[in-house]
Amino acid sequence: MSSKPILQVSNLTKRFGNLVAVNNVTLQIHEGEIVGLIGPNGAGKTTFFNTITGLYTPDEGRVIFKGEDITGVPPHKICKLGMSRTFQVTKAFTEMTVEETVRVGAYNRHGEDDVMEKVDEVISFCGLEEIRHQKCGDLGLASLRRVELARAMATEPDLLLLDEAGAGLTAAELAELMEILRQLNKEQSVTLCVVEHVMQMVMGLCERIFVLDAGELIAEGTPEEISNNPRVIEAYLGERAIR
Amino acid sequence: MKIKATTFNRVLLGVVLAIALVIPLLIRTNQYNLVLVTTVLLYGVLATAWNIIGGMAGQLDLAAFAYLGLGAFTSGTLLIRWNVSPWIGMILGGLVATGFAVLVGFPLFRFKVREVWYALTSSALVEVLKVAFVMWEDVGGPVERYLPYYSFSLYHMRFGTYIPYYYIMLAILVIALLVNYRIGRSKLGFYLRALGEDEDAAEILGVDARACKLKALMIYAFIVGATGAVYACMYGFIHPSFFSGARSTEVAILGIVGGMGITYGPLLAAVILVSAREFLRASLGGQMESLYLVIYSVVLILIALFRPQGIAVFFQDAYRKLLSRVTGDEHVLKANTPGI
Repeated sequence: MSSKPILQVSNLTKRFGNLVAVNNVTLQIHEGEIVGLIGPNGAGKTTFFNTITGLYTPDEGRVIFKGEDITGVPPHKICKLGMSRTFQVTKAFTEMTVEETVRVGAYNRHGEDDVMEKVDEVISFCGLEEIRHQKCGDLGLASLRRVELARAMATEPDLLLLDEAGAGLTAAELAELMEILRQLNKEQSVTLCVVEHVMQMVMGLCERIFVLDAGELIAEGTPEEISNNPRVIEAYLGERAIR
Repeated sequence: MKIKATTFNRVLLGVVLAIALVIPLLIRTNQYNLVLVTTVLLYGVLATAWNIIGGMAGQLDLAAFAYLGLGAFTSGTLLIRWNVSPWIGMILGGLVATGFAVLVGFPLFRFKVREVWYALTSSALVEVLKVAFVMWEDVGGPVERYLPYYSFSLYHMRFGTYIPYYYIMLAILVIALLVNYRIGRSKLGFYLRALGEDEDAAEILGVDARACKLKALMIYAFIVGATGAVYACMYGFIHPSFFSGARSTEVAILGIVGGMGITYGPLLAAVILVSAREFLRASLGGQMESLYLVIYSVVLILIALFRPQGIAVFFQDAYRKLLSRVTGDEHVLKANTPGI
């Protein structure tokens, strides 16, 4: 494992009124890793993502990305620096075709003259050739998730955050998605951080896992360590593990 | 013999342009009809410009006649006071409108005034300007200010007939369509469409939503402001009633009914709906006042029910069928790029 940190989050706190959605979270993600972020519903995973990517401004704490302080920086600038993400509830551009959607992302690092090369590359990487001229509004969930991944990839990020990219997918679709992610990590050396409910995906894909509960980071370690950690079993795997 | 799709497109475009060029020569003796066709073009220009901020960027702007009025008052006042040619007034009017757009757009987009709130704010803008110009007696005031009369002066953009206004408006329309077309195929166009659908998602992909929206608003305001100069010359006076909320709303309606984001959609809607409205008004106005508005509204409701994507989509489908028949190419039926 390379030890150079790509993302350093320190003492991050985000409140909504009286609710502390993310409470004093400190963690590091290293270059080239695939890390997982898990936790029960309402643990603050998505809020954590939103705060890192600039959709929310944190109340306390710092976010350092590639040595640069990005706390409170607007999302489009963070994207330029090399961080992108997908959304839990897909935010598709329903009136745009798959090709056009990917093109929006590709413009991040490409001008008019070579943007289509990037689009073609990403579309074939994600296996979207057959639906490239379809409107996103006409697509099913599995395709939509893949299009979201494609448009985020097209921005050429160094760090890609995936918010429940596997939710609602069949086993076969999930395997395909995991294969794409592994390739992305190996061949294009993109660091990945996945938020997941699907344990099969987290356990099979991630080298390190962070566990959030009620906004707090309660554990951190390899998949084995996490699945044997009593605090995690209590908070997250809970009843099911005991039964 | 098979014809290429692009050739067919060009021929059709040429025919449409030729018809547009010939129309005033056919009806040149009837000034009423000339005003009518020029009004159709005027709404065509406004709706086409609106397409940039409304159709592409998805901001329901209801302030078209705010920018038009600013252009009209700028150019008109310059002509009345300092004898400045409206041709220069067009540019300056466009710039004043653009400046005002920045003044309004910057804080609105900065504080993320979106959706209905943007619509309400822009709608209020028209009324605010109307009152402001009624009270600002040096420039506006409650009484019409007449532009100097010339039977035919190119410098003053004043003519004894409406024919030149028609051609000026047609030229502006062509420019507006070209601007639309170019933006639609550029980075800005893709960014506008993306943020129009989902601003957060667009931002994450590197789209500076604030800057893009402001650019769109500025381009729209400039085109509409410059058109305002011609509007003032054509009617021969300037008056605060130019700041009309109802007409501004109509521009937005044309843009929506035409088909959001489709280059020629708003123009198509303007041609069909404005001529229909004027025809109904002329033919039914004598029997029952305002009956035409009822019919007009029913037509709008029917379109909303059966063609919610806009009438351009309907034409696009029909055009593709025609194109595939002429070219013998089945692909055009599926192609996602619009025919023209």
